[in-house]
Amino acid sequence: MRLEKCWFCSSTIYPGHGIQFVRNDAKIFRFCRSKCHKNFKMKRNPRKVKWTKAYRRLHGKDMTQDTTFEFERKRNRPERYDRNVVENVLKAMPKIVKIRTEREERHHKERMKGKKGKLAKEAKQELQQGIHLVKAPSVLQEEPSLTLPKIKVKVFQPQSEENHAMEE
Amino acid sequence: MGGKCPHRSVKKRRYSHKTARRTKFLYKGDDMVYDELQKPDEERKLLPVDEDLPGMGQYYCRHCDRYFSNVAVRDEHFKTKRHKKRVKQMMGPAPHTQLDAEIAAGMGMPDNGPKLMSM
Repeated sequence: MRLEKCWFCSSTIYPGHGIQFVRNDAKIFRFCRSKCHKNFKMKRNPRKVKWTKAYRRLHGKDMTQDTTFEFERKRNRPERYDRNVVENVLKAMPKIVKIRTEREERHHKERMKGKKGKLAKEAKQELQQGIHLVKAPSVLQEEPSLTLPKIKVKVFQPQSEENHAMEE
Repeated sequence: MGGKCPHRSVKKRRYSHKTARRTKFLYKGDDMVYDELQKPDEERKLLPVDEDLPGMGQYYCRHCDRYFSNVAVRDEHFKTKRHKKRVKQMMGPAPHTQLDAEIAAGMGMPDNGPKLMSM
């Protein structure tokens, strides 16, 4: 029994599911459900459809390079049955799955984390630059408690000092 | 528009759209066209004379997989936006294949075993 992958969305096709299209040049296209088949008939490119694995891989949403991907392969050769090997494989499978899910979770966490810090930094910088739009510089001078703690941005510091000097 | 099928009593099914869609099935898939374009020019054979095709099958656009009735029409086609878009698409990365789908699903490269007949 071979578990095939869907041409469009790369999900696993279990026996008795989906549909298969054989083109007149003998190329086989397998689809997991009518959704994928319809999208294929509409000539959509899976790399441009956001919910497919191909898109997610290409755009760094999912983990791309990992050692756990080396285990599942299409083997186009007969394998001699060996009871010990089968036993070991069965023992290893849940471990590999566990490792992979852990790594995927870490990848997702990493991906979500990165943007938050960047956004916060950008917002802080914008506030620093545009504070004169919220409060007039003269008011700020009178009440130093309103000013934000300074971030070290080299380009803007000499300018602000100059401005203060001018007002004085 | 589709042809008329007058014997159909159900209003919804009165028109057949099969003829309109027929051309859709005649064109080659993107990957076939791409493979054809990747071949070196020497391998390209002369276009066979086919009286069923427009212009005896002599005026062909390799990118769009279309036959034209004469040179003027074909050259006009080369100037169109659709053709240029298609050329750009074909210059880009190779179309999606089953192998791409399998790799995206987290599978490794297929294992074909050692070559048995080594020459």
